[in-house]
Amino acid sequence: MRSTARRTAAVLGAVALLATACAVEDDGDGETAEDGGTEEPGGDTGEIAFDVGVTEEPCPDAVNPDNGCIYLGVLSDLSEGPFAPVAVPITAGQEAFWARVNEDGGIGGFDVDIATYTRDTLYDPQQHSARYREIEPNILALAQTLGTPTTEAILSDMDADNVIGAPASWWSGWAFDDSDQGLILESGYSYCIESQVGLDWFAANVSEPATVLAVGYPGDYGGDSAAGVEHWAEANGAEYAGFVETAPNTIVGSQDAAVSAVMESGADAVVLAVGPAETGEIIGKTVVSGFGGQFLGSVPTWNPALLESAAADAILATYTNIAPWEGIDGTSAAHDAIRESLDGGNPENDGYIFGWVWSYPIKAALEAAAANGDLTREGLRSVVDGLEVDYEGALPAATFGADTNENAIRQAVINRPDEEGTLGVSTIEAEVTGETAEAYDYTSACS
Amino acid sequence: MIGTAILQRRDRVRGRPLLYTSYAADQAILNTPAKRWWTAVLMIVVLALPFLLSRDLTSLMMTVFIYAIGGIGLNLVTGYAGQVSLGHAFFMGLGAYTAAVLGGAETDRVLGFGLDMAIWLPMAGIVPALVGLAVAPLAARVRGLYLAILTLGLVFIGEHVFKEARPITGGAGVGRSPAEPVLFGMDLHGTYHAFGYILPRDAMLYFVCLLIFVVLAVAARNLARSKLGRAFSAVRDRDIAAAVMGVPLQRTKTLAFAISSFYAGIAGALLVVVIGQMTPANWDLFLSIQFLAVILIGGIATISGSIMGAAFVVLMPRLVSELAGSVPFISTAPGSGFLTVFHVQTMLFGALIVLFLVLEPRGLYGLWVRVRNYWKAWPFSY
Repeated sequence: MRSTARRTAAVLGAVALLATACAVEDDGDGETAEDGGTEEPGGDTGEIAFDVGVTEEPCPDAVNPDNGCIYLGVLSDLSEGPFAPVAVPITAGQEAFWARVNEDGGIGGFDVDIATYTRDTLYDPQQHSARYREIEPNILALAQTLGTPTTEAILSDMDADNVIGAPASWWSGWAFDDSDQGLILESGYSYCIESQVGLDWFAANVSEPATVLAVGYPGDYGGDSAAGVEHWAEANGAEYAGFVETAPNTIVGSQDAAVSAVMESGADAVVLAVGPAETGEIIGKTVVSGFGGQFLGSVPTWNPALLESAAADAILATYTNIAPWEGIDGTSAAHDAIRESLDGGNPENDGYIFGWVWSYPIKAALEAAAANGDLTREGLRSVVDGLEVDYEGALPAATFGADTNENAIRQAVINRPDEEGTLGVSTIEAEVTGETAEAYDYTSACS
Repeated sequence: MIGTAILQRRDRVRGRPLLYTSYAADQAILNTPAKRWWTAVLMIVVLALPFLLSRDLTSLMMTVFIYAIGGIGLNLVTGYAGQVSLGHAFFMGLGAYTAAVLGGAETDRVLGFGLDMAIWLPMAGIVPALVGLAVAPLAARVRGLYLAILTLGLVFIGEHVFKEARPITGGAGVGRSPAEPVLFGMDLHGTYHAFGYILPRDAMLYFVCLLIFVVLAVAARNLARSKLGRAFSAVRDRDIAAAVMGVPLQRTKTLAFAISSFYAGIAGALLVVVIGQMTPANWDLFLSIQFLAVILIGGIATISGSIMGAAFVVLMPRLVSELAGSVPFISTAPGSGFLTVFHVQTMLFGALIVLFLVLEPRGLYGLWVRVRNYWKAWPFSY
């Protein structure tokens, strides 16, 4: 017994010694020194300071072999995950975007490479976080981090590492520093604004709905969209028939439960925030059963293949698609560049355009940091507050960091399915805004 | 553990390391010199790892420890006590959310009390253990396949409840940030220096995970060789016979469930801290099956097997993706090649479970025993 006590005392003593030897390292300065320090490259890279994720050596297969290289990471869903059909073109769109930047001479004497650190994370937070930690020592920022929960999984790491990123999701939380620590540079509206603009447009151009219903996947997508529907109903004196929560067919098998909920609701306008296959099934089945309402679909509900499905007629008759910016046939300078990058071909779906447009804020941040002569992570992060982004006409110019309620983009594009349209849709009206969406008090995440 | 080792030294007959002169010496955890050496070397290696490995591999090693804790928990109920449980993911989720509510930061979306790890970590085990206690009376009435289905139900009910309990879990598709690993006021995510050296980031978290894992593993090993552990085995081997011998069935099964849930809860809470965020959908059947794979591949009813299984299940996918570059028919680029890395991982996983079940039901532990016995008897091993 005595020896036990003595041993315990010895162990405690050792622990105490160890504890006194440990001390907290101040945030910031200690770490940067560890990261390799600042280099001052010569030649055409000028006087720009840089460290992690930027090299003096050219990128692999560089367009400009005399330039240095900025490495950006991509964490996407590229093979078996639920968003792979759209994530693959998104990534292709981003590749094309940065290839164009490089062909125009790069940024501050550096080319941009996103291919080297592109990783497939299957829309799984665990994979996302593991892959982030794998590529983090070699990248300056993230050109894409797909999904809301996955991005949230790496957010505290990104904060500690001073890594900014462009999201591939339209969650309302990205607009607020409270949710994204000012690290996520989102583009366009959020689902919450989307459903309000859509209903505003619907009320003005189709008919004033007495009852509105939201159908969607719970969470950052459907939940966000439904919050917008609920707010719209309150603001416009319409009846909110509720939020029908459903899930992808791979999980629930069929949308029969959602279909009967839609039938029972008797809503005039149903806002859908589901996948394309589920959209087709819900619209097809309800219209066949005699449902008289109209459907407004969020961006991801659309896939050109729906016009070849059994539900095609019902979709042509009752479906309207809301999008953050114009599709492939758009008229802006950005759209001209997108078409040029495709050499007259067509992308698989709108993901290509999403990827392209989502890339502008990171480009603007890199340019601003290069202009300040500081392409370190800290330098890049410091330009985010107040950063102005020019979308070459795809979206109105945006300002980051400032008052969200004032600066949030509250405009959408309304599309109708059209067999003649390039990706199965044609634009009815671009730059649509709405009274409810304009007046919405946007001060925190909707879902 | 140290006590028995020292006791044993006193009882040992010089030059006859395998001759035990007392029951305690025979039953000691590290009862042979080889085991003691192995353990010492392993501990030194594991302690040195955060200084040698890159950050992503360090967090992978943390995941190994955490999977080992969860695996040991499942092994206690399924391996030692013979109660097949598919509900492990539910208890892990429960632990994770208990920790997140007690130790997480409050936002306008979710609850959080921001308490110290010294509070949230034990609670992350205790709450699932209490729920395990509540479920056990039902579970103790059935066995075999029926028990598997009953615990399967837990996973689905749990997933649904997690999705709906938004203030606690953040809701489906969004999730919430985990508990803050602040132990006695010390932020384990921070950078520290000790004796003039700067410790790698997250090294403190690594050491704390390691410590928790070692403590829980030793506790489980001690439990397994105690009266309760023998009761577990008796119930597993034939519950009627055990009852005839005076082993209280209900109490033994209930305890097995509660202890296993405690381990699962701790593992769940730590897992989210390492990963960063989980949504309710992540606590699904697949996670439970992964833990079954840990104990099947590692070795049923062995603690060291659970650890080997955890290392295998966590590290194998990484190994495959590292090797993928040098194997021509596995593609790492999206949309090209015959098989993707993920196909290969899934197939290997399934194939290995089948192979172990058929060829070596004692798992990696069994393989280790064979290798050990071969060299022990060398050159007369046949």
